[in-house]
Amino acid sequence: MRIYDQVSSLCWLLLSIAVCIESLRLGVGTLRHPGMGFMAFGVSLLLGILSLALFSLSTLKPEEGKIAPFFSGRYWKRVLLVLLTIIAYAELMPLGGYLISTFLLMSFLFWIVKGQLGWVLVLSSLTTLITYCVFSVWLKCQFPSGIFFE
Amino acid sequence: MGFFDNILLGFRVFLDPNNLFFCAIGVLVGTLVGVLPGIGPQGAMALLLPATFRATPTASIIMLAGVYYGSQYAGSTTSILVNIPGEPTSLVTCFDGHQMARQGRAGPALGIAAWSSFIAGTFAVIELMCIADPLGKFALSFGPPEYFSLMCAGLVLITYLAQGSTLKALIMALVGLFIGNIGLDLVTGLPRFTFGINELSDGVGLIPILMGLFGISEVLENLEQDLDKREIYQTRISNLWPSLKDWAEAKWAILRGSCIGLFLGIFPGGGPLLSSFISYAVEKKISKTPEKFGKGAIEGVAGPEAANNAAAGATMVPLLSLGIPPNVSMAMLFSALVIHGVQPGPLLLRDHPDLFWGVIASMYIGNMFLLVLNLPMIGIWVQVLKVPYRILFPLILLFCLIGTYAVNNSIFDLLIMILFGVLGYLLRKLGYESAPLVLAVVLGPMLEQNLRQSLLLSRGSFMIFVDRPVSAVALGIAFVLLISNTFRAIQRKYRRKYKT
Repeated sequence: MRIYDQVSSLCWLLLSIAVCIESLRLGVGTLRHPGMGFMAFGVSLLLGILSLALFSLSTLKPEEGKIAPFFSGRYWKRVLLVLLTIIAYAELMPLGGYLISTFLLMSFLFWIVKGQLGWVLVLSSLTTLITYCVFSVWLKCQFPSGIFFE
Repeated sequence: MGFFDNILLGFRVFLDPNNLFFCAIGVLVGTLVGVLPGIGPQGAMALLLPATFRATPTASIIMLAGVYYGSQYAGSTTSILVNIPGEPTSLVTCFDGHQMARQGRAGPALGIAAWSSFIAGTFAVIELMCIADPLGKFALSFGPPEYFSLMCAGLVLITYLAQGSTLKALIMALVGLFIGNIGLDLVTGLPRFTFGINELSDGVGLIPILMGLFGISEVLENLEQDLDKREIYQTRISNLWPSLKDWAEAKWAILRGSCIGLFLGIFPGGGPLLSSFISYAVEKKISKTPEKFGKGAIEGVAGPEAANNAAAGATMVPLLSLGIPPNVSMAMLFSALVIHGVQPGPLLLRDHPDLFWGVIASMYIGNMFLLVLNLPMIGIWVQVLKVPYRILFPLILLFCLIGTYAVNNSIFDLLIMILFGVLGYLLRKLGYESAPLVLAVVLGPMLEQNLRQSLLLSRGSFMIFVDRPVSAVALGIAFVLLISNTFRAIQRKYRRKYKT
């Protein structure tokens, strides 16, 4: 865990430095007239101090046992695939429209964990249609119609 | 208006068919969410938020509150039958509840859990009726320094009560305060930390943050493991009404659990989770037969269940009377109120008495709905438990995506949600808690506004925070908590050194 704490504390330290620089650019102001960057400046200072404290504490602390792998589960590749799929969904929805892109997304998600093709298609179609009826028709959410239905 | 007139007003508002319908939907969804591990009340509340846009503010809050206290009710079902808590707040119910089920006493365990929840929920409604109004009136005398100090104390308290490292929780709170700073400056109206992205002018939306941190990250974490591992303990569920002996053993545990929940629920961070753990510890400590705990003691089910439900109701007190959300679910309710144009706080009772008393009345009737949902309909929830996770996770992901998109019809919000999903996933792995971050995002803009107003009022002197009694006490509490935590850490370190 020690190495993870060290890395994460350094990330927070970098964030605090970036926020500090930007808040100085925005203008900290004075105590009588606090500026736009006043609060962010204070927050960045505190964040810097705490991240340094975390770094020192984790460095001084002896490592207990073996370092556990960051991805402990057996199926971490599945996590990556699902993540990439939902990013693709967000990017493609304006083009493909809600119906097509949601059907493709659901088919992939149902399929990725040992789904049989027949069931995958039935479940994806049902989910897409029911959510469309509930959210778009009943609740009047404005989903993109996509280039095919314009 | 007198106290009883207010209660009558509440019931009149609640008995509107529309509000009744929304309450029923809320507790039903809450029960579903409580039963299903993998989606929490925060995610469900965020998902349902777009569905409330066409409803009145009262109906919306009634429904969202129903989701919250409904999930606390139903979390015990999975704890007892599957040994997996539907909600973290039902974790301690696993210890004895599941053992009771293994001994063929699943019925009495479920029964006492539901009745304890009902009794404690009723106490919580009474507390809300009695405390929220006077506290709100008292809060009318508060100025920016008091609010600033109270929010600081709240944030420190939530980090102090964090399950993991306090230092990491404090870092999370500061990151949350920074995220809350993104958007237009409250005084000058100029953008800051927006990196030239127009969509960030209104700040980072709470819904994408919540969905990402609590919905997406949870799914990603579960996907790493072998899905559908859970097995339901095969047992006949009968005798849902606990016997007289069960009642005799559980009655004081219910009362004590309720008192613990009612007290701790008011404080930020001290919500249902902490209350249930403390209640279990108290019951075990004062029991004449502590060796029975962990082996199916009914007090070990009754006490924590009463505590978490009492605390769930009590957490509404600071939100409705002070306008300060004490936990993530209340932050969600806070956002819903703001979206509907209602400002939570001391003026809520004066400006929207129908909403305030309507919500209180709904909580009482909602508790009755839950009793019906959780006892005679228990068989249905057991069937719901059998839905495999490989079917559930695509649905949870889709609802997160739709729920986030529907708020502003924005693809940018979806990307923000995914970003926070990844962040939440990494934070879980690194041992950071998301709750302080979310609460700080909500409190950040208010905290800044009150800080700047206080400094303008005092012409730059920080003494304004110490000169006022309420503010001084709140800051004093925050300071003592921080100091005590540091001492505790040093003490632990020396003890470990001494041992080696």
